[in-house]
Amino acid sequence: MSLLFSQRKSSGANAANPGHRLVMFFIRHLQQALASIGELWRMPMSSLLTMAVLGISLALPTTLHLLMKNGEQLRGTWDNAAEITLFMEDGLSEIQTKTVLRRIGLYEQVNQVTYVSEEEALDEFKNLSGFGDALSYLDKNPLPSVILVVPTEQYSSPEGARELLDKLQEQPEVSFGKLDVTWLEKLTAIVTLLEDAAFALGFLLLAAVILVIANTIRLSILNRREEIEVLKLVGATNDFIRRPFLYTGIWYGLIGGLIAWICVSLILWWVEGALIDLASQLGANLTLSGLDLSEFLILITLSSGLGWLGAYGSVMRHVYEIEPENQL
Amino acid sequence: MIRFEDVTKVYPGGQQALNRVNFHLQPGEMAFLTGHSGAGKSTLLKLVAMMERPTSGQVFINGHNLNKITKKQVPFARRDIGMIFQNHRLLMDRSVFNNVALPLIIEGYHLSDIKRRVAGALDKVGLLAKVNNMPHTLSGGELQRVGIARAIVNKPPLLLADEPTGNLDPHLSVEILKVFEDLNSVGVAVMIATHDLGLIARMKYHTFTLKQGQITQDGLSSSNLKESEFEPVI
Repeated sequence: MSLLFSQRKSSGANAANPGHRLVMFFIRHLQQALASIGELWRMPMSSLLTMAVLGISLALPTTLHLLMKNGEQLRGTWDNAAEITLFMEDGLSEIQTKTVLRRIGLYEQVNQVTYVSEEEALDEFKNLSGFGDALSYLDKNPLPSVILVVPTEQYSSPEGARELLDKLQEQPEVSFGKLDVTWLEKLTAIVTLLEDAAFALGFLLLAAVILVIANTIRLSILNRREEIEVLKLVGATNDFIRRPFLYTGIWYGLIGGLIAWICVSLILWWVEGALIDLASQLGANLTLSGLDLSEFLILITLSSGLGWLGAYGSVMRHVYEIEPENQL
Repeated sequence: MIRFEDVTKVYPGGQQALNRVNFHLQPGEMAFLTGHSGAGKSTLLKLVAMMERPTSGQVFINGHNLNKITKKQVPFARRDIGMIFQNHRLLMDRSVFNNVALPLIIEGYHLSDIKRRVAGALDKVGLLAKVNNMPHTLSGGELQRVGIARAIVNKPPLLLADEPTGNLDPHLSVEILKVFEDLNSVGVAVMIATHDLGLIARMKYHTFTLKQGQITQDGLSSSNLKESEFEPVI
């Protein structure tokens, strides 16, 4: 496109048809993308150091995400412990007991109902308490019969289970019910706190990634000031000049993301045994899950995007600032 | 080709570099711009290259008013002007080929076209054999000629040169001027700023003399010399 001399046939690419121009557009982007890799390769140590910093910054939020994900899985197994114990009135007949069992079993919130008769309760108590024979001196069984109710998953949360308990206590045959959810509520509170903290920390670290890339690109722009001036003198647009820097930012982010993935995989491999052991101590059956494919892609896309964003900030500030001066 | 109409340039801070300058460089003409350092030569060339804007007055290239060229259009307008610098301004970490190819890469030429045109430009300045050399292996005169090759590689209709022979000995200077004459003979307009009066004395070209921001002389260089109004060159 010749601006001052309309009769002048100028550009090789512009002379061609639109389809060809589009192809050339992508080819040129690809060339500049590859050239910016070459630029990184010229100073492998410093490039790698920057990427390592990015990788470690990204590894921390990723690890926190994995902790939360696996914690969710643990919480799932513990949620089933939200079991409701219903103590029955004394002296219920066998028919009355069967009726109430059927009635409760029909509740849509209820997953499973187990009946423990007075005798079974006494046997169990004998075995577990260690009083053993001493109990046989009692002339009357002091224990009531008990119904154990396991709510459906939907009603396993502390609030849901409490709601169900209130309903069940209205049954005339039920003396009173008991639900031990306070520890569950505490656990939920702690997990929520940890999640919030992880989000805040993750946010800060992502901001750090942007700043590191912005600063790296800024230095690289200032190092190549002479080259940028010459490019502007021979007619390069700002778009053309900033493109390699934007690609460099994307490469930093991309490779930083890959390093983060490697770090997280190593951490996971390192702590796996200890974590599974801890989980089984707590009575949960844990299989540790790492990043799946979609999470891996999100990590890579996010880190490349952050790289682009950081580079964009620097480029907008500095490439436009540099103008050829001095001689001519 | 280049026309100045009442052009005044005052730099921020109040330094007046040009004061109501008028001149006209005809299409296809080769001319010299002389004057002491500080007389406003560089400012005049900067106005043509759109590195500076006039405080008042108008600059035309090929009838286009440069005041109407927006900031976004400047890069495209510069592609029509070949520029040559005293210190050549080559990129020292790139080969001769890559330096000369720069304007073509920017305009998006095919690699085959680029190779052909770079070879053509280097052939014109007699450096085809050094196409793959790195700049630091070349002499000062050769570097300057590589700079000229870069300026002419996309065949601009107008060439600006700021002290192109400033760092060269007289023999090399004549050689460089020969290159400009060859280019001018195929229709390229050439404007050369220089204070090397001995150089232009031998040639019959239009000369504009700047003194304290004003054009004081406008005539053929040889006749100017006869009037011997030039003060000794520092």
